Amino acid sequence: MITTDNLTKKYGETLVLDNLNLNIKAGHIYCLLGANGAGKTTTINLLLGFIKPTSGSAFINGLAVSENPKMTKKHLAYIPENLMLYPNLSAVENLHYFSGIGGNNLEKAQLEAYLEEAGLQASAYHQRISTFSKGMRQKVGIALALAKNAGVLLLDEPTSGLDPKASNEFGLLLQKLGNKGVAILMATHDLFRAKEIATHIGIMKNGQLKQEFVADKITLAELEHAYLQTMDYKELAV
Amino acid sequence: MYKFNFIYELKSLVRNGWIQLLTLLLFALFFFAFYNGQEKVEKRKSDIQAAHTEVKESDRDMLKLLDSVERGMTVTASRWTIPSKPMAVGNYHPRVAAMDPGNLAFVATGQSDLFTHYVKPKTSGDDLALNFTEITNPVQQLFGSFDPAFVIIFLLPLIIIAFTYNVLSSEKESGTLRLLASQPISVAAWVLQKMAIRLFWVILMIVVILTMVFYIHIDGASFGSIIPVIGITIGYALFWFALAFVVNLWVGSSSKNAIALIGLWLLFALLVPSLLNQMGSTLYPMPSRTLMINQLRTAKAEATKKQDQILDNFLRDHPEYAINDPNQGRSFYHRYMASQQLVREELQPVVQRFEEQLQKQQQWISQLKWVSPAIIVQQELNTLAGTSTRDYESYRKQVIDFAETWRQHLMPFLYNNQPFASADYKNLPAFEYAPLNSNTTAKTILVLIVIAMGIVGLGFAKGIGFQSSKGILTH
Repeated sequence: MITTDNLTKKYGETLVLDNLNLNIKAGHIYCLLGANGAGKTTTINLLLGFIKPTSGSAFINGLAVSENPKMTKKHLAYIPENLMLYPNLSAVENLHYFSGIGGNNLEKAQLEAYLEEAGLQASAYHQRISTFSKGMRQKVGIALALAKNAGVLLLDEPTSGLDPKASNEFGLLLQKLGNKGVAILMATHDLFRAKEIATHIGIMKNGQLKQEFVADKITLAELEHAYLQTMDYKELAV
Repeated sequence: MYKFNFIYELKSLVRNGWIQLLTLLLFALFFFAFYNGQEKVEKRKSDIQAAHTEVKESDRDMLKLLDSVERGMTVTASRWTIPSKPMAVGNYHPRVAAMDPGNLAFVATGQSDLFTHYVKPKTSGDDLALNFTEITNPVQQLFGSFDPAFVIIFLLPLIIIAFTYNVLSSEKESGTLRLLASQPISVAAWVLQKMAIRLFWVILMIVVILTMVFYIHIDGASFGSIIPVIGITIGYALFWFALAFVVNLWVGSSSKNAIALIGLWLLFALLVPSLLNQMGSTLYPMPSRTLMINQLRTAKAEATKKQDQILDNFLRDHPEYAINDPNQGRSFYHRYMASQQLVREELQPVVQRFEEQLQKQQQWISQLKWVSPAIIVQQELNTLAGTSTRDYESYRKQVIDFAETWRQHLMPFLYNNQPFASADYKNLPAFEYAPLNSNTTAKTILVLIVIAMGIVGLGFAKGIGFQSSKGILTH
């Protein structure tokens, strides 16, 4: 479960996140839409504990991030826009390493099972990451979330740069995780993918959450219209 | 976490060729340096051996001549070189006062490339001062030859810097840091572990190389003799790893880290030692050697002018040398040796001044050596090798003492007008160098470890948070 309570971040006098209140329950997939600089990545950085909030709090599974940084990281998995892994290690080795340093020592068969569940082809398990495409690396990221058995998944524009097929596969994987009860927060520019996979959608602008929707209750066209309206692209929002 | 870091860091380092390159580099540098060091020691040994052989041959000739003289035969040698005259023995058949190299002499050239390793003090020599006046500030020796000490003090830190400068920054630059930081770990502890793995490999290589060197180079010594060198090297490596750890946490990008670490290397290995050297020379300047030689010459000239008076005074002070036989006269050497005694006494304040300044310089360095681990390590390696300023000072004093013993042994023959005989040969004094014992190594290693721990502690105290504000974990 992901909760933010009047979460605010300022850099000097610049307000980058303004009293954000989110409540993402287990099994929900929440897509945060917004232009560059809207505050999406700042929200994720605050939830990861990479930066400290100016005021307000962020909670992962009920634990305050700023007070329990290590504990909250045990419950979450994170996939950045461009997931980078160790190029000299294979997919299995990367998975073994990242699970291991988090205190989860997995057998080879388990690692391969997670990679399979994440949709990576078997022939790639023992290939070095340096030969992987972005889509394949993102799948290893999903395998890492599966291996960690994380209740929370944070994703920062994970589908940007993926081809439609890879993006579609990735969306299906997220839905699978959502069905397993994982609370997912995904920052994205991709309205289409957000409408496809999300249970809830929020639109941010200038650090503020301007609108929220239940994905089932809105069409793609309505979502697009709302987004353009929010962004003040009124001439496009016809 | 450590097990996983250890296994995968080693795998990564092997796969990208770092371990192989580091191993090759360490082996090549250390073995070349040990070869150089050993060459110098061999040269030193062969010089000393040649001097001993020369003395042996000279003694054989001397004994032959003595035998001829004692049997009343006519000898063709010059009158003043016939060894039945004690001053001929004292001046033409001196003993070798050699400073034999110790087991670890190959580790650090130290002062040994400036000074002779043997002298042959003569009864009429000036060895009390002149042969050793080059002993100056010990830190000057930091710019020495390509010996193991040079590799340890100057090159090993550079290798460590190249091996560690981007442990954290490369993670940021390659994009893996954000994924790492999202794991339930302390990034500072993670960096420390990565450093520890590299340190482990460097230590392993140092132990392997020095053990190999021990079995190749050191004859007849216990393995324990090389352990202090291993300890000092590891302690020094630890210091540089600790610095690299803090720089990784505090500085930022790879290029900035590299510049910061090279700057620290310049500071600790070059600037501080040379600054202390300069300050030592400025605060406690050595008396002029030219002035000393001039004073020596003046004293000699003065003494020559009044040799008869000096001899009378000398004999008044040494009644045991007074002779009652009016048929026996006093020769040149009777006057000369008495005047030499006076010259020595007159020059004593000059030599004293020189020694005092030297001691002050050494005290200055000794007090401030803690400012730079490079100086601590240099001094300790020189001490272990037996090539430190203290060792040469001790050798100088031992030679001066021996020169006096040599003179005092032959003086009674001279002033009692007693000929030197073959039977007296076996009683001639011989020089045996007594090396200094060092017990400072354990303390030095401990100091290096404490400094390194302090730096690491400081790194943890400030932690990675110092960088967070600059965006090490964010974009």
